[in-house]
Amino acid sequence: MSVLEYVANGLVFSSIIVLASIGLSLVYSIADFANFAHGDTMTIGAYAALVTFGSVGGLGIAVLGLPLGFFVALAVGVAVAAVVAVLTHKLVYEPLDAGSIGMLITSIGVAFVYRAVVQLGFGTDFTEFGVPILRPIDPLVDYGIRVTLHDVAIVASAAILVGTLHVLLQYTDLGRKMRATADNPNLARVSGIRTNRVKLWTWIIGAGLAGAGGVFLGLYNQLSPRMGFNILLVVFAAVILGGIGSVYGAMLGGFLIGMVNQLTPLLTDVGIPIGIEYANALAFVIMVAVLLVRPSGIAGEAAT
Amino acid sequence: MSALTRPRSAVADLTRAERGVAGFIAVVSLLLLYGLFSGGLGPAYFLYLLGLVGMYVLLSFGLNAQWGYTGLINFSVAAFFGLGAYGTALLTADSSPLAGGFNPLIGLVVGLALAAVVAVLIGIPTLRLRADYLAIASLGLAEVVRLIVLNQNEWTNGSAGVRSIPGFFEGWPVLETFPQAMPGIRIEIIPGSPIVLGQSFWQSSLNVALVTIFVAVTYLLLRRVHRSPWGRVLRTIRSDEDLAEALGKNTYAFKMQSFVLGSVIMALAGVFYTHLNLFVSPGDLEPINTFYVWIAVILGGSGSNRGAIFGGFVIVAIQEGTRFLGNAFPATLPVDLPSALGVIESTYATVVGNFASTRLLVIGLLIVLVMRFRPEGILPPQRELIWPAALDDDTPAGGRAAPGSHPTETPADGGNAEADEPSTTGGDRSAGGDERHATGDDRSTEDDRDE
Repeated sequence: MSVLEYVANGLVFSSIIVLASIGLSLVYSIADFANFAHGDTMTIGAYAALVTFGSVGGLGIAVLGLPLGFFVALAVGVAVAAVVAVLTHKLVYEPLDAGSIGMLITSIGVAFVYRAVVQLGFGTDFTEFGVPILRPIDPLVDYGIRVTLHDVAIVASAAILVGTLHVLLQYTDLGRKMRATADNPNLARVSGIRTNRVKLWTWIIGAGLAGAGGVFLGLYNQLSPRMGFNILLVVFAAVILGGIGSVYGAMLGGFLIGMVNQLTPLLTDVGIPIGIEYANALAFVIMVAVLLVRPSGIAGEAAT
Repeated sequence: MSALTRPRSAVADLTRAERGVAGFIAVVSLLLLYGLFSGGLGPAYFLYLLGLVGMYVLLSFGLNAQWGYTGLINFSVAAFFGLGAYGTALLTADSSPLAGGFNPLIGLVVGLALAAVVAVLIGIPTLRLRADYLAIASLGLAEVVRLIVLNQNEWTNGSAGVRSIPGFFEGWPVLETFPQAMPGIRIEIIPGSPIVLGQSFWQSSLNVALVTIFVAVTYLLLRRVHRSPWGRVLRTIRSDEDLAEALGKNTYAFKMQSFVLGSVIMALAGVFYTHLNLFVSPGDLEPINTFYVWIAVILGGSGSNRGAIFGGFVIVAIQEGTRFLGNAFPATLPVDLPSALGVIESTYATVVGNFASTRLLVIGLLIVLVMRFRPEGILPPQRELIWPAALDDDTPAGGRAAPGSHPTETPADGGNAEADEPSTTGGDRSAGGDERHATGDDRSTEDDRDE
């Protein structure tokens, strides 16, 4: 495979990681704990989309190689992930009288419940969206890049979602309130911001993005009840690399970690014998190395 | 205090939670004994279960030393367990791709040393940072260790695992041939279902004896260090790290020591498991095993060694009990429901048909419910933190605080003097001579500090 192809794959994978890590980072900054259920929220979104796609089928004309029904399924996946996260927040996290570590441990229990429910409903095997398998885009094959229209759809959708989030954060009232709450919750509250409502919106946006990431991950690879948990560690690496709690850091970290993950085979070419099976491990080594040099991550504030 | 001389007041001294736990243990023991005598439970398997309990108790002790004492949140229990297990397996097994055939004692030492080295390596970058970094980094480290074990076939046999591992007492005088030397015994308590104590039974009893020694030594060591000045610094770090820093303690060094100590204990559990199971595979390093241990510690009570023992029993009950239940329940609902309630029937069939997933669901709910309703655990540490001598001198029998009324998150409420441990032990008195001058007012400072 050519270097360009690795880069193209990295771009696709990065898009998924970026979607997931933004959500994780948002929740981290406003709810103030490391949410270990985030990966399984992605799984929930993916399976909700799977069910929806199964019932609406190949509705309408195809956009970027995907039937319109797939985008309906994507929307449902996002919505279900958001609803599940809000319900969990209301039922589990809000009544909980615990510090950030207690919340973290609770979120592991929540993750298990999510995954167990998915396993009970769909079994433990791998499954796929029933979308037609495409051939690589011809003009690009000449350059040694084999990507399908689906890959383009993933990158484009992620770019649209990330752009929308940027506009939301920078130019809307809700965005300003979210940034204020993340910065200093107490100050935000005494300034008249209803931080509880902001928190709710954070859960909706964060889990919604995770749901979208899950759907795309299912499209890129396959669906399995462990898909979200397996990718969670990579997402955490991205968030820490970018700086915990920083949304833009999460975008950058997600991009870098996704790229490194897909570029791992190149290491063998330059004489470092690390196979693709260690791609996830490499993400961790990078994370730990960054922590040694810059404990707060690339875009994090100095004080941790 | 002495349960032997005044059994009735010993029962009255227990808190409600302790009575519940005692009742639970009694019921489980009766069930097990019934299974044993009715022939449903082989004696060798029964002892194997006890060995597993001992293993989980060791793991919980290790995690307690890190999380319960110091507040270090370590999600790589399975990795340190695996380092101990693979460390000894690769050195002792005949089929080892590395140098096999060594004495298990050498495997023990190497496994523990390996865990200590890795603990230092992961501790260096993460222990200075805020707590949740350690959580994430250690989970990542566990994954790295698992990936290496899974993929480096030439060192570890990869996914095939390591077989033909000798028992721990291989190569020892007398003990090596003990199981063969013992006669087979046949006991018939319930007519028609005899219990046969054969070679595998004696082999298992050796394992149980071994783990009992491991647990006892670890328990005494941990209790000793927890009550020492070193342990007091750890508790201070857990409740207020800045305070410990302000008092001139090098908190980083203390955290590192606690982290290494706990990791070595986890590796000890791994060494034992290897020689119990005689087979290890990368599946033993799955993250779910880490979370089993976390449940044992949280459920038992963070920082409480009694709680860790209780937690070990509960985990084995969950693991082996659900396996048994999954087979015992009929695959479909035995009663016919009207078709409107068909969803109940299908749900039942799904839940019973996929007991592995159901077990995951139960574990998840258990974590959430414990954190929600009893974050201090079932048996929070009470008198474990107090020097026995201080108790005898200072605490009149009537002057106890109301038991179980402190839903605090920190592990200690030193004022509650109820516990079922004997109040003094020879080991503590003789070993603790140089600290005992502080015990008189120690108790009151502990109250202030930890609540």
